[in-house]
Amino acid sequence: MASPVVSPSSSTLHFNRNTQARATPSRNPVTLRLSKVLGTNLNDEATREALQTLSELYATPGGTSKGKETLHNGDDELGEEYAKPDETLTETVPGESAARARKNLRRDMEQKLAEGSQQFLKAFGEVDQKLEELQHHVNAMHASCDEAETHLKLTHESSTRLLERAGSLSEERQEVENKKTIVSLFLSRFTLNEEEVEALTSRDIPVGQRFFKAMDKTEQIRTDCRVLMAGEEEPTLAGVDIMASTSSYLEQGYEKIVRWCSYEVLQMGRDMQVEVGPTMREAVRRLRKRPELLTEALTSLSQTRQATIMSSFLTALTRGGPSGLPRPIELHAHDPMRYVGDMLAWVHQAIAAEREFLESLFSVQGDGRMVGSVRVFPEKSEEEDWIRELMDHAVGKLCVPLKVRVQQTIRSQESSIISYKIANLLQFYMITMRRTIGELAVMSTTLNEITDIAYKVFYDAIEAQGRALLRSTLDLDDSSLSPPLAILDHAQVLREIMNVYESSLLGDENEVEQAAGFQRILDVTVDPAIEMCSSSSEEKKRLRPRWDREVYVLNCLSYLQSVLEPFPFTVQKRKTLQEVVDEMVVHLTEEHYKNIMADAGIDEIAAICAKHDGSEPMSRIPATLPTQLQTALHNFSVWLSGLEVVQSQRLALLTAQRLHMQIHQAALRRMARSYQLICEQVKKPENRYEAAATLLGSERPFGQVNLLWQIFGLEGDV
Amino acid sequence: MPTDDYEAEATELLETYDFLMKYIIIGEAGSGKSCLLHHFTHNSFKEHSQHTIGVEFSSRTVKLGEKRIKLQLWDTAGQERFRSVTRSYYRGAAGALLVYDITNRESFSNLSRWLADARALASPHLVVVLVGNKSDKDDEREVEWAEASRWAAENGVFSFLQGFPQASPFITDIHFLEASSLTGDNVEAPFLLAARSILLSIESGVLDPEKAGSGVSYGDRALRRVNSSSRLSFGSLSGRPRKGTIKLKAKGWIPGTNKCC
Repeated sequence: MASPVVSPSSSTLHFNRNTQARATPSRNPVTLRLSKVLGTNLNDEATREALQTLSELYATPGGTSKGKETLHNGDDELGEEYAKPDETLTETVPGESAARARKNLRRDMEQKLAEGSQQFLKAFGEVDQKLEELQHHVNAMHASCDEAETHLKLTHESSTRLLERAGSLSEERQEVENKKTIVSLFLSRFTLNEEEVEALTSRDIPVGQRFFKAMDKTEQIRTDCRVLMAGEEEPTLAGVDIMASTSSYLEQGYEKIVRWCSYEVLQMGRDMQVEVGPTMREAVRRLRKRPELLTEALTSLSQTRQATIMSSFLTALTRGGPSGLPRPIELHAHDPMRYVGDMLAWVHQAIAAEREFLESLFSVQGDGRMVGSVRVFPEKSEEEDWIRELMDHAVGKLCVPLKVRVQQTIRSQESSIISYKIANLLQFYMITMRRTIGELAVMSTTLNEITDIAYKVFYDAIEAQGRALLRSTLDLDDSSLSPPLAILDHAQVLREIMNVYESSLLGDENEVEQAAGFQRILDVTVDPAIEMCSSSSEEKKRLRPRWDREVYVLNCLSYLQSVLEPFPFTVQKRKTLQEVVDEMVVHLTEEHYKNIMADAGIDEIAAICAKHDGSEPMSRIPATLPTQLQTALHNFSVWLSGLEVVQSQRLALLTAQRLHMQIHQAALRRMARSYQLICEQVKKPENRYEAAATLLGSERPFGQVNLLWQIFGLEGDV
Repeated sequence: MPTDDYEAEATELLETYDFLMKYIIIGEAGSGKSCLLHHFTHNSFKEHSQHTIGVEFSSRTVKLGEKRIKLQLWDTAGQERFRSVTRSYYRGAAGALLVYDITNRESFSNLSRWLADARALASPHLVVVLVGNKSDKDDEREVEWAEASRWAAENGVFSFLQGFPQASPFITDIHFLEASSLTGDNVEAPFLLAARSILLSIESGVLDPEKAGSGVSYGDRALRRVNSSSRLSFGSLSGRPRKGTIKLKAKGWIPGTNKCC
């Protein structure tokens, strides 16, 4: 492109000079060309640049060689070349360079191009060399890459294996973790941790909630383990191990409880009134699974309690309460009822308190029953057995001092009434105790014994009293027919005893039981009295024939009856007594009949009449001759007018008016019957009484039996 | 589960008590002693109650302020024939409930005899509460409230402390109230009233629960407290702040040196 641009510009310069020479423009190609050249705008940027380049190229004046040199040098010292043309331009003719340039342009150009190409070639040669080097590098790199790839492949392979390994390992690990969790769960479920073991075995950990929890855990482990082992044909080692170790811990735990209990018991047992804490209750509850250990613990408890109760009892007996109030029980030893009663009441109260203590110890809920009221033993629970046994032990030791004192008191009693009262009191407590602590308890049996002793003493006393009564003799000079002092005293004692007995009845006994409870006493007291009445009076009768023994005996007996009367439980004895009385009444009636017959003077005649067998007429018998008969009838009539008919003087001495009437009327009845018999006999023709009717009718009651009944004031029974 | 059982039992700790007191219940036969007691212990009326035979026992724990008190109750037979038996139970009682029947004048007239027995046989510090029972039968009333109240006031007696050098007199007041064991009206009051009086006696040093035969003893709970503070406090009862009480008591408890009033 450089050449076309250069050409027009140089031609333009030429043309400018030509036009000035011709001076007339014409229409020819040159003109056209000129105008075109003239019209050319040299201000065009590209053109200016091209010109610039050209001018730079030819800036150096001189020959071609010079130019050549300049061009060659131009690469080395460009600045020097630019400065030179300015000097040459001024020196040389203008246009000289341009002509030279026009001439050489092509060659210069080609030369320039060749030079440039040469330079290119050279440069490319270098480049090629570099590229070759690069090629080498690339090849080397390629080789390295291949190598790396191989390595990579290898690595990949091995890492795959590693990964696999790692995967399996992590699986294994997971598995192991699982196992570990299971094992630790198993262990936590089936073994005790350190704390628990410590709680079970160490003496430093008190028996308490923590300890009990550990115990529970141990128990739970054993239960679970047993369940697991039940499913196996042979017990696994682990199972056996677990059982063995837990068993040892459990035993240690139980031993710890026992130790603790024994210690606690020692502490608590010293007070009379004690309370059972929840820990103690729990301890006892657990120990019940180990009866032998429980026994051990409870044995020490019962020993302590025994000693405590014993010393409290002795304190109450001899020292009394604080500062002597309430007063010691023994202070009242002179008052046997109070003394014995206080002791027994103390024991009763101690039992009630002990019962509460034991109930709370065994966590037995009190049944709301009132102690003293009847205790029912429906179910034989284990707790009840324990409680009973412990109770028995605790209060059993009281028996000895109690027994000694009660016995002393009993034996020193002179009054049988007091003896009886004591016996009754003892019996009351015996029944109460039986109901509270059972019949087999030592205290019950002891009370039973003491009661028996008391009763024996009492019976001995009243038997002795009976014997003394039998030995007593009557005052011979005493003509009275009332019961003697001995009987009165005796009856008084009996009366009091009966009062005591009556008040001792609980009210739920039936009549038979009531009577049975007193029969022996009645036998012992009433029988000698009856015996004494008859025997001693016989003696007196012998010595004092005029003394009316029958009335006396009847008086005594009816007195005894009156004593027994108010008490319903004496029915049986009263019946016996009544029989004796009846017998006596029959006897007395007979006597009385005889007496009044004799008094009335018809006894002989009546006797003959009664015996008459008809072998001989009565009028021929000396005693019943009509004259005799007349006299007798007269006497009878006189007697009928007397007071004796209404009441007998002898019988009036009977204290029981009823008996008087009964005997008297019976005798009169018989008398009336005898009179009737006499009348009948007299009236009989074979007895050959002349004017029998007149004979009988001469005197009252004129042979009329009915009239006689009326006189006697009796209803005719014929 | 066993562990839970144990927890449940642990809460039973409430059953422990501070004091144990012995009461005796006396009065004429038929005045309703057993029914009163039955209502107190069972919270129900005792139907067809029979005469008590001898002496019967029951117990209950009550709460008085912050104190838990276990009452051992001895119910006696009122019948004359059991007198010799029941008399032995006065010994060692800390409190007595003297019961009469407001519809039966005789049961009231005989009170003096019962009181005399109680004073003669029980400890001199015996706290007596007079209870007019059967207050539900107001129509059949034979004993007026005022009369009984007067009787109670007149029969609060002076007695002398034995064993205290200065022998200071103190009054055992007889509290009085009417109750009904049928409706349960006022049934708990006499028991609590007596317990309160006894606690006050202990506080004033007249009664010592440590001593046997006083009718009062410490429970486990109180003992534990004694061990920890070495001195019992009755703050809840006397209404004074706790801390102060302990200090005061420490001074007041030395026998023979107190009696500020």
